[in-house]
Amino acid sequence: MTVSELPATETPAKDSERDYFVRFKTSQRIEHIVLMVTFILLAVTGLAQKFYTAGWAEWLILHMGGISVTRLIHRIFAGVFTLSILYHFAYLFRAVFIKHSKLTMMPTVRDLRDVVNELRYSFGLADRPPRFGRFDYRQKFEYWGIIFGGLIIIISGAILMFPTAITLVLPGQVVPAAKEFHGNEATLAVIVIVIWHLYDVMFRPGIFPADTTIFTGKLSRKRMAEEHALEYAELTGATPDDERPASPPEAPGPAGQIAAGKSAETTG
Amino acid sequence: MHIARIQLSASALWGAVLVGLITVAAIVITNSSRAAAQSPPPIPHPVAGQEQCLVCHGSQGLKPFPAGHAAFDEKSCVTCHSTASAGVKAQDCINCHAEKPLSMNLTGGEKLSLYVDGAEYETSIHGGKLICTDCHNYSGASTTSGAGTLAIASEYAHPSRDVANKREYSLALYEVCKRCHFDNYTKTLDSVHYQVLARGDQSAPICTDCHGAHNVSAPSQPRSKTSQTCAGCHQSLYEQYATSVHGTALIHDNNSDVPVCTDCHKSHTIEDPRTAAFRLESVQICSGCHSNETIMQKYGISTRVVKTYLEDFHGATVALQTKDNKDIWVNEAVCTDCHGVHNIVAVDSPSSPVIKANLVNVCRNCHADATENFPSAWLSHYEPTVHKAPLVYFIRRFYWVLIPFIVVGLLAHIVIDLWRTITNRK
Repeated sequence: MTVSELPATETPAKDSERDYFVRFKTSQRIEHIVLMVTFILLAVTGLAQKFYTAGWAEWLILHMGGISVTRLIHRIFAGVFTLSILYHFAYLFRAVFIKHSKLTMMPTVRDLRDVVNELRYSFGLADRPPRFGRFDYRQKFEYWGIIFGGLIIIISGAILMFPTAITLVLPGQVVPAAKEFHGNEATLAVIVIVIWHLYDVMFRPGIFPADTTIFTGKLSRKRMAEEHALEYAELTGATPDDERPASPPEAPGPAGQIAAGKSAETTG
Repeated sequence: MHIARIQLSASALWGAVLVGLITVAAIVITNSSRAAAQSPPPIPHPVAGQEQCLVCHGSQGLKPFPAGHAAFDEKSCVTCHSTASAGVKAQDCINCHAEKPLSMNLTGGEKLSLYVDGAEYETSIHGGKLICTDCHNYSGASTTSGAGTLAIASEYAHPSRDVANKREYSLALYEVCKRCHFDNYTKTLDSVHYQVLARGDQSAPICTDCHGAHNVSAPSQPRSKTSQTCAGCHQSLYEQYATSVHGTALIHDNNSDVPVCTDCHKSHTIEDPRTAAFRLESVQICSGCHSNETIMQKYGISTRVVKTYLEDFHGATVALQTKDNKDIWVNEAVCTDCHGVHNIVAVDSPSSPVIKANLVNVCRNCHADATENFPSAWLSHYEPTVHKAPLVYFIRRFYWVLIPFIVVGLLAHIVIDLWRTITNRK
């Protein structure tokens, strides 16, 4: 979920011999765990407040220790969430302006074509699915959803927490507007996570019961070649097959860079 | 009912003999097989309007019938017990107590007037139903008390009362009300008035302070009477109320929709209104009328005021705390924090604390550093519309479209993905 830093510590020569790839650094894995825990706690304490007249919400709030405790938990983890987003921005700043890393999470026109090609493949109009680089369009959508959604949530949440301060400069209506943004954006985020993210990383055929990559950092060679064919080719110098690989390639082919470029053109 | 001192005059003696003879004759004639010693006592009160004898004389009643009566039904009482010479009558007592100078010196030095206005009593709600001894129930004791011992010319015993002053006399006697009004009496035991009394403050109101004693009348006829009763002690609050939107409608228009004191504070279970619990529950008191469409439409008041309050931060906090620990004081505003309590005025009145020009001052009661911008953070019980709060309205509409759109899109993506996977496996 970030700007790619290719696992430079791994020597490319040995990539072909490994049966897994390290996709996420320890700091990125910790970042995900922090985000996951804060998201769940914020969603539970927040949705319970938004829908407090519902039986389940009332039950939750009363069992968490009442509305004031629920709000306290929500605000503490809102602080944690804000800090983790700030950390991420600092990390991005360093990656972009100091380390000049490749911006693999940046949406491109190619992602739009991938959506169309995925649909064409699904409906039998194309022979094979599009090939993806380090992050496919679904992962980019979720990442940017969290970035923009998170900003909306943080800003609107801050307005709700400091209504007198914000109305020193802005009209009063921004406060109920912030409440409208906050609750709706959170509802949308929870829906996207529950419907899509959990399908993608847990319930998808072949993945069930769980995709552990974000916790271990490791992705198998087979899945790497299937789901991130372009990145796989780039790392190994392997030529992706013309068909979607049914099994992991036993040996990497020559002239990977050229093949990867060709693949990108044909897929696009 | 026996007495210590009877001044037997000749006529009384002859009267007693005559009654005795008639009684004996009646027993002999009507029931020669029954033991002659027992003659059923006459009914000592009027029976007109009180034909349901078992209300009082049933086994659970105030004066239960004696053992052995269980076999008789209600209608049979008057076959044995005579009603003709209806024993003690209110008038019997009035005969003496109509004398205005009649009084008793209490040990504390006060003089207790024993005068009773018989006509006033007869027009009271108890007139014709209760006789004096139903409340002044002097069974057994047989002395008079105080310095002003009177020659008791009647056959009725007057008990000794060890009371220092008139208030103690009232306090000693008021509990007789519970013999009939047990439910309301019990309710008063939970009231703030009883708490004051239990602390030893004798000025706390008891039944007779609000309802009167010999002049009891329907407490809410007319409705304004109720609030005037409370005004007897709570004068300054009554003056606020009398100028409020509720009070003026009651007093000037005899409006039957506006609340009198007891509509909010209840009549017998009057709670201490200064507690955290009362503060929380006050919202339900207001919404009792203000969410009632039938009442509110007469005055063009929206019933959404309750809903919009509960949807907002203040209302949500109060609603949740009400379901939690009611003894925790919530700082979030309840209705009365903004609108006032006894002095509530119409929201469009220039003197209203919540009219636009004044609202920021109300906000500053809690939000000390609120600016002129701040009050419009609250949508004044309006639901967002294009005109009232366009920003809020359009954000709501935006998500109203976006969320279903995203849900359908994501679900479609999943369905297509699964369908492709299944197709590939075939």
